[in-house]
Amino acid sequence: MSGMPQPPRQLDSRIEIVTPENIAFHYVVAGPFRRLPAYIIDCLICTTVLVGSLIGISFAFGSAGLFAIGFGIWLLIAFAVSWFYFGLFETFWNGQTPGKRMMGLRVLSVTGQPINAMQAILRNILRAVDAMPVLGSVAIGIPLYMVALLAAAANSRYQRLGDLAAGTMVVVERRSKLRGLSQLSHPDVVRLALDLPRSLAVNRGMAQALSLYVARRDRIAPARRFEIARTLSEPLAERFGLPRDINPDLMLCALYYRTFIADTAGGAVLSPESEAAEMAAAEASVR
Amino acid sequence: MKVAQLLERRKVRWSELEAMCRELENGRSRRLGAVGVLRFASAYRSACADLALADAYQLPPHTVQYLHDLVGRAHNQLYRSRLFQWQTWAHEMFRRVPTMILFDRAAWLAFVIFWGIFFASMALAYSSREFSLEVIGEEAMETYQRNFSQPIGGRSFEDSSMMGGFYVYNNASIGLQCFAAGLLLGVGGLFITVSNALQLGAVFGFIFTTPSRGNFIEFVTAHGPFELTAIVLSAGAGMRLGFAIVDTNGLSRMASLRKAVDRAMPTAAAAVVLFFLAAVIEGFLSPSDAPYAVKAGVAMLSTAILVFYIVVLGLRGRIVDAD
Repeated sequence: MSGMPQPPRQLDSRIEIVTPENIAFHYVVAGPFRRLPAYIIDCLICTTVLVGSLIGISFAFGSAGLFAIGFGIWLLIAFAVSWFYFGLFETFWNGQTPGKRMMGLRVLSVTGQPINAMQAILRNILRAVDAMPVLGSVAIGIPLYMVALLAAAANSRYQRLGDLAAGTMVVVERRSKLRGLSQLSHPDVVRLALDLPRSLAVNRGMAQALSLYVARRDRIAPARRFEIARTLSEPLAERFGLPRDINPDLMLCALYYRTFIADTAGGAVLSPESEAAEMAAAEASVR
Repeated sequence: MKVAQLLERRKVRWSELEAMCRELENGRSRRLGAVGVLRFASAYRSACADLALADAYQLPPHTVQYLHDLVGRAHNQLYRSRLFQWQTWAHEMFRRVPTMILFDRAAWLAFVIFWGIFFASMALAYSSREFSLEVIGEEAMETYQRNFSQPIGGRSFEDSSMMGGFYVYNNASIGLQCFAAGLLLGVGGLFITVSNALQLGAVFGFIFTTPSRGNFIEFVTAHGPFELTAIVLSAGAGMRLGFAIVDTNGLSRMASLRKAVDRAMPTAAAAVVLFFLAAVIEGFLSPSDAPYAVKAGVAMLSTAILVFYIVVLGLRGRIVDAD
């Protein structure tokens, strides 16, 4: 069935959503400590609005000698802001409040569909329970959100009671940049890629290992690269009769080049000198 | 085809989708226009297809991650939150809510508990000063007595508006808290209802022993029906949530709670409307120097409206549902 979440099998905070297009994609559910900064931002905004409107109204109505009317109106505003700020924003901003938008969070139904007005309002009215216990008075108090923490700890989507009742969850909307393939144009890599035997087929698992390795090798010290690359390059070298003293890092790069970039060397070589130097250094350090 | 070539080709589509997502997220243009919608949908579908085939294409893991994030973002823009559907809400408020209230055991339980304890507390406070001292406290008792010692009338318009605002803020907040507290297995709502009933009943009982009773009755008559009904309704709606977790009727606890939400939310909304009406009356009419007949008339009218709403519309809704 479309739109149904998978049974909770996850080890981390990722959940899988199956869209009506029958595609399964992943969301990261936001835990309490991702949501706290968003909540604090929203609280600051609420406080600013309340204090600002009180000052504004005092001046506007006070100068006309009608302070009491102004204060009555302000109390209405205070009621609306304190009970409906979150709910209305989440309704009209597609599951986001200003704080959530800044922190890249969004409220969704547990099925991955957007929330409706009723869910948005309900989950935020029930905040009154989640916020318990409140230090100080109810009007100006510090909510400790112990109930919410307990509830979130007890389920795999970090839902607080309001979320559970409304059938919603908060997800992280990540905006990763598209990174292309790693640029490997060192002449040695290209040459070795050509020399590798045709029979050396790269299956899916190996392709994944290769791209993970190459994407991260920039951040690994040369000696460590050798150590890691060896586990894959040595058995391969043995099986395909390649020279035993082949540079493991170079070999994996060549395999990567052949699998992902090109079968035949185009010849366009933009060699960063540093890479060659690094490889030589690594070779020296291993010997 | 090699991954490098494939990525080169797809990248254009993906970044187009990404750009459209960014534009929609920033809220500059909620609408893309007909051509934009077509392009968005097709770019979204092709990103979906690429994600589905990512394994077969042997895309590198960070590209797959990028696709997951991109599809997630686009999905959230394509399927947007549904706003208030006024027609549905009108149907809810005038058809389903009255029926639900009339045939809801939680609402009746709240009704019985509230009024039972209210009258019991009133009788106790009327007969024993000790009880009033215990429940209301001496200071508050003196304040009440003093406040209602003067005949009612002559509050300025300004003060009335301020108090109207205060009553909305205070009373509706109490009502919503009472509703929310119901979620704690019904016990929280029960506790607030009982304590409200005890307090109110004791104040009534105590005032009746003092000479201020005439002024007090004159003050509370007009807004009483709406306000007390609203308290009962919000407590009942909250308890409906709490009890649904305990008595699941064969459903899972979560499913039972969701079903109860569907019934409780509109009832809570009705309670908030009643709190507003009560606050307006309490702010403007109750403290005014209008003759008592007018205030009593308003009380009777509002009672009649409530009876019509809950009983007549409720029964009618039941009959319509049965058809």
